[in-house]
Amino acid sequence: MTQSPMETRSSAPAYGGVGRPQPQGLADILERILDKGIVIAGDIRVNLLEIELLTVKIRLLVVSVDKAQEMGIDWWRNDPMLNSSAEQLAEENRELRARVEQLESGGTDGKG
Amino acid sequence: MGASGRYLVAVSRGLDAEALSEVRAIHGSGVHMVECEGLQAIVCDVDLDEFGEEPLRGNLENLAWVEEMARAHHAAVCAVDAVATTVPMRFATIYESDDRVAEQLRVLRDPLTEALDRVEGASEWSVKAYAAPEPPEPADRPRAESGVAYLAQRREAVEARRRRESDDEEALSAFHHELARLAVASRRLQLQDPRLSGRQEPMRMNAAYLVAHHAAERFSDCATTALTGRPDLRAEVDGPWPPYSFAALELS
Repeated sequence: MTQSPMETRSSAPAYGGVGRPQPQGLADILERILDKGIVIAGDIRVNLLEIELLTVKIRLLVVSVDKAQEMGIDWWRNDPMLNSSAEQLAEENRELRARVEQLESGGTDGKG
Repeated sequence: MGASGRYLVAVSRGLDAEALSEVRAIHGSGVHMVECEGLQAIVCDVDLDEFGEEPLRGNLENLAWVEEMARAHHAAVCAVDAVATTVPMRFATIYESDDRVAEQLRVLRDPLTEALDRVEGASEWSVKAYAAPEPPEPADRPRAESGVAYLAQRREAVEARRRRESDDEEALSAFHHELARLAVASRRLQLQDPRLSGRQEPMRMNAAYLVAHHAAERFSDCATTALTGRPDLRAEVDGPWPPYSFAALELS
């Protein structure tokens, strides 16, 4: 049995169980009040659909990383588009491409 | 301070005006009730220098502002929902006057009444399921001897991942149906982008259930235990919420 990936997060409940997330987070609230609920035209007309949730969050990132971390939002850490792992991916891609070319041209990787 | 508008928080019925005295909405302001046709609109005053069309557009670009207002809106909806049958409004529904609010209640009386009928005696529960993070590739796997073998190896990895996802989907579909049987209504929502959920585990299910108050405990128990046979999946239950996901208007 491999080590549970969750063991590094001591506060997280185990898989197969159920977790109670922290008090309703901003992401869940925004998902509901911007996207759900009764929609009727007010006298003030601003199209909320233009304010995509994601756009809002990306703006948040641009505007204030500290603020976002305060709010417990740190998704960009895992976002290949937004952090250094993008470079890792690009590097891995380059390596893979080189290796495929090498193999297809009948070459060896220097060990065989 | 500029002219003021009426920010519509929710529509209720059977609400005692006294019960609103402690409710706080935008910027901590109190709320009042506009009644028409047996419906009650819960509104608070907002400054149009802040909530007029132009300033609102600008303010929506400011996440700190959006957060403060979103939390205030949600808190007010929750407070009203706690004491009466309530349908929440979408964020930033604003009218010029109480008369305009009353006019909307009159025009939309039937669909609003139907929406209230649908959610009466029930609350929304959110259930999300996450898969365990992808297992890392074994480090000691022998390197492919040839391009063909290498590609076969990659293909096998992709296949295995596809099988895992399809197994998950089957289990979660059964899970969802089991929960839906305990609910008045249910909706599977879009999976949240990891950037939105803030979680690194892939989300496999995002669903909302409208659950009668008397069935809430049974529902919660079921959501808690039904996936125990799948140690690689984890459900998270959150509720009760005001019935945001079940408060759509059906306009004829």
